[in-house]
Amino acid sequence: MTRLIVVRLLFGALTLWAVSLVVFAATQALPGDAAQLILGRDATPERLEALRDQLNLHEPVAVQYMQWLQGILQGDLGNSFSNGLPVAEYLRSSVQSSLALMGLAALVATPVSLFIGAFSALRRDRSFDHASSMGTLVVASIPEFVVGILLILALGPGGLGLFPSVYAREGGPEQWILPVLTLALAVAPPIVRMMRATMIEVLESEYVQQARLKGVSERTVLWRHAAPNAIGPVAQVIALQLAWLAGGVVAIEFLFNFPGVGKDLMDAIENRDVPLIQAVVLLIAGIYILVNLIADVIGLAANPKVRVANR
Amino acid sequence: MSGPSKNTTPKASVRRRPGLFRTAWRFGRTKVGVALTALIVLIAVLGPFVAPYTPTEFVAKPYETGVDGALFGGDNLGRDVLTRFMWGGWTLLLLAGSAAAVGVAAGTVVGIIAGYRRGWVDDVLMRTNDVLLAFPQLIAALLVMSIIGPKVWLIVAVIAVSHMPRVARVIREATRKVIEQDYVKAAEAIGLPRWRIMTVEILPNVTSPLLVELGLRLTYSIGVVAVLGFLGMGLQPPTADWGLMINENRQGMAVQPWAVALPVTAIAVLTVGANLITDGLSRAAIGIDRGVEK
Amino acid sequence: MPALPEDSTPAAKRFTSRRSLLKASAAGAAVAPVLAACGSDSESGGSSSNEPQYGGRLKVGIAGGGANDTLDAHNPTDNVDIARNYALYTSLMHFANDGTLEPYLAESMEPNDDATEWTVVLREGLLFHDDSPVTAEAVLFSLERILDPENPMRGAGDLEGVDLEKTEIVDDRTLVIRTGEPFVTLPEALAEYYNCVVPVGYDPENPIGSGPFKYSEFKVGEYSVFERHEGYHVEGQPYVDELEIVDFPEDDARVNALSSGTVHVISQVPHAQVAIIEGDPNVNILESETGMWLPFTMNVEKEPFDDVRVRQAFRLIVDRQEMIDQALAGYGQIGNDMYARMDPSYPEDFDQREQDIDEAKRLLAEAGHEDGLEVELVTSDINAGVVAAAEVFQEQAREAGVTVNLRRVNPSDYWSPEEGFPYAFGQDFWSARNYITQTAQGSIVGAPYNETMWGEHEEWLGYLEEARQTADEDERNELIRKAQKIEYEEGGYIVWGFVNLLDAYAASVHGLEPSVSGHPLGSYAFHTMWKEQS
Repeated sequence: MTRLIVVRLLFGALTLWAVSLVVFAATQALPGDAAQLILGRDATPERLEALRDQLNLHEPVAVQYMQWLQGILQGDLGNSFSNGLPVAEYLRSSVQSSLALMGLAALVATPVSLFIGAFSALRRDRSFDHASSMGTLVVASIPEFVVGILLILALGPGGLGLFPSVYAREGGPEQWILPVLTLALAVAPPIVRMMRATMIEVLESEYVQQARLKGVSERTVLWRHAAPNAIGPVAQVIALQLAWLAGGVVAIEFLFNFPGVGKDLMDAIENRDVPLIQAVVLLIAGIYILVNLIADVIGLAANPKVRVANR
Repeated sequence: MSGPSKNTTPKASVRRRPGLFRTAWRFGRTKVGVALTALIVLIAVLGPFVAPYTPTEFVAKPYETGVDGALFGGDNLGRDVLTRFMWGGWTLLLLAGSAAAVGVAAGTVVGIIAGYRRGWVDDVLMRTNDVLLAFPQLIAALLVMSIIGPKVWLIVAVIAVSHMPRVARVIREATRKVIEQDYVKAAEAIGLPRWRIMTVEILPNVTSPLLVELGLRLTYSIGVVAVLGFLGMGLQPPTADWGLMINENRQGMAVQPWAVALPVTAIAVLTVGANLITDGLSRAAIGIDRGVEK
Repeated sequence: MPALPEDSTPAAKRFTSRRSLLKASAAGAAVAPVLAACGSDSESGGSSSNEPQYGGRLKVGIAGGGANDTLDAHNPTDNVDIARNYALYTSLMHFANDGTLEPYLAESMEPNDDATEWTVVLREGLLFHDDSPVTAEAVLFSLERILDPENPMRGAGDLEGVDLEKTEIVDDRTLVIRTGEPFVTLPEALAEYYNCVVPVGYDPENPIGSGPFKYSEFKVGEYSVFERHEGYHVEGQPYVDELEIVDFPEDDARVNALSSGTVHVISQVPHAQVAIIEGDPNVNILESETGMWLPFTMNVEKEPFDDVRVRQAFRLIVDRQEMIDQALAGYGQIGNDMYARMDPSYPEDFDQREQDIDEAKRLLAEAGHEDGLEVELVTSDINAGVVAAAEVFQEQAREAGVTVNLRRVNPSDYWSPEEGFPYAFGQDFWSARNYITQTAQGSIVGAPYNETMWGEHEEWLGYLEEARQTADEDERNELIRKAQKIEYEEGGYIVWGFVNLLDAYAASVHGLEPSVSGHPLGSYAFHTMWKEQS
């Protein structure tokens, strides 16, 4: 088990390195070099040369990559082209906002989906189960930005006018509602399905059957015996959904003008702010890999069969 | 490389497993899915022929509603919203369809090779797969688009590449089950070349998961193509395209909701329809319902 | 669309509100609506609106702002920087709301015969925020700071030719500025907000000026607070005790803040939001005609625009009214292929050019394009309405058998030679400038944004050169008009229209007047605004 986890960790690190290589290579393909991008229209040959020296652009690409990687490992992500601030500083508050948004979405989505999933399992093949199955299927199908726009059309200023559709720095807490709701809807369906599936499995297991035979009340069976056993696989799905959130948050932040890393990425793309693009992509990929790793580990821990049989 | 498998897939599936579609059709949700999908496909395909104006003609003031002759008013430039809606679907379908087809084809090739050859080939392919999987799909697409610029072939390529490892994983598993079967062993015994075994013996027997995968990837492709358009990284103005329409008109949403509501609804209905069909297929094929993998 | 953090590339600093107007709305309508807006102002305010009331804190939401925010008097780039600049500092000269030049800190500014020597006399009793007097020495210091060769400020280009060595302080209130060459546009240059006067030893960390409001608080990328400057030179102004300027890069958020009463005034209302504001009885729209233009640029050195007939044909392809209606939602004025609309020399009498597809086709056929023509138009979201104009032109050109392919470039790369600037066929946006100043920026050989390569036209250049050395205004305008006639017939710009600016304010706020400068809120005239006190 420990060995497996170590192997996974090593592979995660390897993957992250591969991702860094891809990101660096991709940004090398941009037309014009960094000096040109920074100086823009007023780039005189002398200033370009000076800046190229300063940015080590005369070094071979491999050396530049090593220097860049070294910088990242030391937490130095370079300076933003558009305003000269260190990228790490630039991103600090956006990262916090994005994490808060994702955290809230997970906090809202998880208990509700667990409940719906468990309840569906109990009411298997009855109307609640069918409704929730259909509902999750429909919500899961629709791209999340479409869900967000539908929510805005229904509840935003053009519709019932309950909540603002754009985030403003001075706005109140109600402006969090639509983005959180959108993300929660996006992550919920797989959790519901997994909860339902595992609960059904657990409820049919000998262990639970025996508890029932012993005359334990149905409520105790459910909360003491069934639910704890279902939580492992479900936790893995929750972690996977969180990993998905890291990427899925971009379109949602763009839609609601939410000041997080996703919006930073879109701004950086529009400004061709290479260090910022690199940093955000690495950051999101890093979180994605890390959380996937955690999901893997949870999966391994929760399901002893996996480590014996499957690999 | 992807050509033969793409061409033989549907034929083979129809010949060898006539029951899959019929089984799937028994589910009520499959019928609903087909109806919803057909509706949107119809709008997208026939729309350009019946649209009242050309997609770039000016018929109203920007964001004007209640204009004579323009049922849903004007868009951000005063072009007819209904016309642009009717013109804006086929690009989405075409891009999503090609991306899903290419991605599934490539994934199938990789999956079958990895599953059949095993050993170091399998290792190399699957580890590469894992690296590709480490990139969130949308982020990868955005990174590439921002660098090379939004181009049609690139949209298809990026989405296809992001599908490939996911498809490959599923097909590899299916392949490994198939190669345990006697007829594969028999084929090996009589010395059939490997490529024949892979195309003639294995491929027709993994069509069920393949079709389910195709449905899933198609649903997902629609989402990615639309979101790229919405982020301004897909098709470029003045193309009439549902994703781009949403981007162009979202600022006027409170004043002129139609220009956003029509394409958004169409995308929602289309994805739900496609996913209902996929769900029916997967129930028919595996007997369980599958969640949509993000 | 995401509003951009304003970037610091020099391209962004081009002029007045280059990047800052980015994505913000173009605005406006005819004179009548402007007056109507003012009218409704007094109606809504009732009798109380006639007599300005003092006191209160005015909160203003300005489009733009970000991590680049600065209070430096001579280096503002972003819109919010410009707004703060107007609050904190003042210049020797000033553009009135109708675009005419008037003395401001200066009492007078007179040239010698060939405009190589300008005598500036300051008003009496001018005070900086620290109550020290505004002196000729401070003016000289300001010029030195702007022109510092080690660290040239934004206005250095405008003031090129000013000879600081020979410039002399006559007394506390008098300064003689000498220039190497005749410099007829010096008063214009000294009216720019970024060429304002600061005290000797000025430090941006302690931003002292002589503007209507003095510094109190500043949070980069968020907001800034100012207090009334009692020593402001305009009698009785400003009216409000405190001014808070809030950064609002996002259009929707800005409008929401006004509707909800979080702020009292906002700059730059996007067209899409006008209907919302008009439907709200508690807020009004301020619509200003401006001299801001969003031209198409035809490079006279590149095919097919090296043929004057093609340029003429393209100018005839444009349906100017449709351009205004579709690309600017009607908030603009028709242009006549001539910029510098506020210049006294502006040729009102030239025939208004109108769409003439037949003539355009004839000209194109003459130029050898009888079978149609295909061109690439490079466009970019450099300002609201630019991409829209490209799309409208594409549609209009179809009628004349011209196929226009749009190539969209990132705004930050638009002026980059890597992308191919100056393009054969491109677009641009410029705020209001007078003719000579504008040509120095965009037309003459060596101009920083020579996008049409027009300036080598010898006859035109001859008139322009002569005008630049003519101190007498009437004579100068005669010469300019000769140059304009040539450019009107053969030039490389398609000036299809001028943008109207739309701002909005709460009904309880008064004293806002439209200005042609192209800067929102009547050139951020916070000193004339007042709030009803209950």
